Amino acid sequence: MKALVCVKRVIDYNVKIRVKSDKTGVETDNVKMSMNPFDEIAVEEAVRLKENGLVSEIVILSIGQDSSQETIRTGLAMGADRGILVKVDDILLEPLGVGKIIKEVCEKENPEMIIMGKQAIDDDCNQTGQIVATLTNYPQATFASELKKNEDGTLNVTREVDGGLETIKVKIPCVVTTDLRLNEPRYASLPNIMKAKQKKIETIESKDLNLDISPRLEVLEVNDPPERKAGIKVPDVSNLVEKLKNEAKVI
Amino acid sequence: MDSTVNIESNHINIKSFVDERIKTFELVLSELEAMSKKSKDYFVKTLTKDNRIDNALLENYQFESHGFAWFETYRIGLRETFNWLIRLKDSNKAAEIDYNILLYSFAEYVSQMRDGIMISQTEIVRLSDIGITKNDFKFADEPNVNELISFGLSNELKKDIVNSLENGIFPNLGLNDETLEMIQDQFRKFTEEEIIPYANEWHLKDDLIPDQTLEKMAELGVFSIAIPENYGGLGMGKIAMCVVTEELSRGFLAAGSLGTRAEIAGELIRLGGTEEQKKKYLPEIASGNILTTAVFTEPNTGSDLGSLATRATLNGSDYTITGNKTWITHGARSDLMTVLARTDLDKKGYKGLSMFLVEKPRGNCENPFPMDGMSGSEIEVLGYRGMKEYEIALDDIKVSKKQLLGEEEGNGFKQLMETFESARIQTAARAVGVAQNALELALQYAKDRSQFGKQIIKFPRIFNKLAWMVMEITVSRQITLFSAREKDNDVRCDIEAGMAKLLAARVAWSSADSALQIHGGNGYALEYPVSRVLCDSRILNIFEGAAEIQAQIVAKGLIAR
Ligand SMILES: Cc1cc2nc3c(=O)[nH]c(=O)nc-3n(C[C@H](O)[C@H](O)[C@H](O)COP(=O)(O)OP(=O)(O)OC[C@H]3O[C@@H](n4cnc5c(N)ncnc54)[C@H](O)[C@@H]3O)c2cc1C
Repeated sequence: MKALVCVKRVIDYNVKIRVKSDKTGVETDNVKMSMNPFDEIAVEEAVRLKENGLVSEIVILSIGQDSSQETIRTGLAMGADRGILVKVDDILLEPLGVGKIIKEVCEKENPEMIIMGKQAIDDDCNQTGQIVATLTNYPQATFASELKKNEDGTLNVTREVDGGLETIKVKIPCVVTTDLRLNEPRYASLPNIMKAKQKKIETIESKDLNLDISPRLEVLEVNDPPERKAGIKVPDVSNLVEKLKNEAKVI
Repeated sequence: MDSTVNIESNHINIKSFVDERIKTFELVLSELEAMSKKSKDYFVKTLTKDNRIDNALLENYQFESHGFAWFETYRIGLRETFNWLIRLKDSNKAAEIDYNILLYSFAEYVSQMRDGIMISQTEIVRLSDIGITKNDFKFADEPNVNELISFGLSNELKKDIVNSLENGIFPNLGLNDETLEMIQDQFRKFTEEEIIPYANEWHLKDDLIPDQTLEKMAELGVFSIAIPENYGGLGMGKIAMCVVTEELSRGFLAAGSLGTRAEIAGELIRLGGTEEQKKKYLPEIASGNILTTAVFTEPNTGSDLGSLATRATLNGSDYTITGNKTWITHGARSDLMTVLARTDLDKKGYKGLSMFLVEKPRGNCENPFPMDGMSGSEIEVLGYRGMKEYEIALDDIKVSKKQLLGEEEGNGFKQLMETFESARIQTAARAVGVAQNALELALQYAKDRSQFGKQIIKFPRIFNKLAWMVMEITVSRQITLFSAREKDNDVRCDIEAGMAKLLAARVAWSSADSALQIHGGNGYALEYPVSRVLCDSRILNIFEGAAEIQAQIVAKGLIAR
């Protein structure tokens, strides 16, 4: 089974996000960037499947600028085999555009499993996996917290849904999106970081794909979340109830 | 342009301010270089007797010549900080904080060089001590340089630096290499998740770093960095070593110091060992199967290793080793000792010393030395915990002739000296990591703590300290990476490595002290990690060449060079 893992380069989760003064977006100059944590989980899952002999080849795909090569390289250092970078100009890509590009790459690569994070921590869209499944007409198993391969080649995927866990069976090729509890990604070891230097990353220009990936949405303004106001201490429960009723007006 | 106006307005563009003054920075560097030559000439003249540097004279002028070592340490530090910024600029990666730090470092260090360098908290070296006059510093009063210094020392600039820190923007490490950046990233993560949450507990309980953590570090390749590929290592060089060491030490000094032992033993064997010894031990050290420990110091010989007394006597095909050793880090949980002992009683000093590779069964806390002829006890210490230090008695230990490093007597000290460059660089990187830890703890506390209705970080006496720390950490890091780069390019760098160790150790201590100060009373509580960092940072000025010895080595090297 060949796995295509889609990874996105995002602002590192440790960085304090700052909105640009003109409110057009967030500061990215000199800001530390990393692989989207959910995508890291996707890479880890693919590598584990490969270590267990269930995946034969892992291809990392990222869509972005040259700098996304670094993100791909991290995936290669974790154990993937090769990478593909689809280069886009500096336009705001939306999940639909990303989905179209992934579909193109799938047609070329024919992976049996397309795996990616359930969402990216920058725009929190939670759409790409579902869109890819729609465009490719593959079954989808989203929010995976456990993944098992069956004898007949199908996958059993446990999903985190409201109120519990649901296990579904999907035929391959399929699209899987990963949830937080699927695994704990490994650190790339020094030997593997050295090996990753030799692995190939192919670059494709998105304009050569002749797709309409222009944005459908217009960002009007980006704002900081409101600052949290200081809390107060209430002396007892009746006081609390009183305040919830009369001040907060929530009960 | 009228720069005075510029300085007074709050929003001066630091990037263009510095860009327009690159020539001024270069001028400062060339003036300092000229002064350094003058000072060196002064010492050569003063200390030469019968056409050579006279040791008795050197001792008479110890304070002054060490002052020269510090002056040069500052100068090389500034030069490398300047080169760091230029490289960042060239690759379009220089951020405001990087520019601010460059400017601040020049302003602060040039002022100190002119007015007095604090070589320890109780000793200040003045220009006149090192054969330079105020007149030589006239360039600093010229408008260009003066302007640079006064802006560099301004509150505005320090506030800007700390503003960046508050926003999570730290100075660029200047690695300029994708692979090194990935290494840094991975080890940062490892340290965040596997070291930092436990470090204080290990320290307070005086525990060994757990075996599982050691295993994880071995898997990541920590012990194989410097060992050549044909002996099972990664052959990655000193810069990679520095990156890994700094990150691990940022979590816990002992974590960054585990690699030191592998580094010392690895270098000893790589440079001094026979082919057989290399094949036998290097792959095992690289994989972490064999943990090593350095057994040099004795109760009566620390800095003056040449006078050590442990004896090794050849009887047939075996040596027997007898003597007392002390301060042996990781003495119990280790499998291979590198023991420095005297093989030739007739030769006094360094010449009669040899290095032995002595295998031993691994001990634990209950039974630290399960070997005949070897006993010892733990030395309780302020900090630097996690590996434990021991005093050890060796009583007629039998060691095969084959375990003599290089299978030739009398080379022990020379073999050890060959490892000094690497060990100093690695120790400097440890110090930078500890200082960085102090900075980050202080920053967080200064943001979280409010007094008089304000976050304390808003008070000048607090943000000044933070700005100072990050500035000096940057200079230390850049001089450390510079030595590492030279070493990787096979350029002799013993003096620069010594400077890096000298400066970084002082910076680790002063940063930890300031960080504790920022914590107020809480800093004095064992519960707060900064109290541990203070204890940890103190050792860096003592081992791998105490500050005085390190300054002596640098001074001697500079004057003789
Ligand atoms: C926590 C810890 C771990 C250690 N780990 C190891 C280890 O694993 N293996 C090992 O072999 N050793 C180890 N050491 C020993 C360490 O290397 C020595 O402590 C160090 O070399 C200094 O020697 P000393 O303590 O005997 O001090 P001394 O040499 O007695 O020095 C005392 C003071 O006098 C100063 N001084 C000495 N000579 C001069 C001079 N000529 N001019 C001016 N000042 C001078 C020194 O700088 C110092 O300030 C460790 C020490 C510590 C504290």
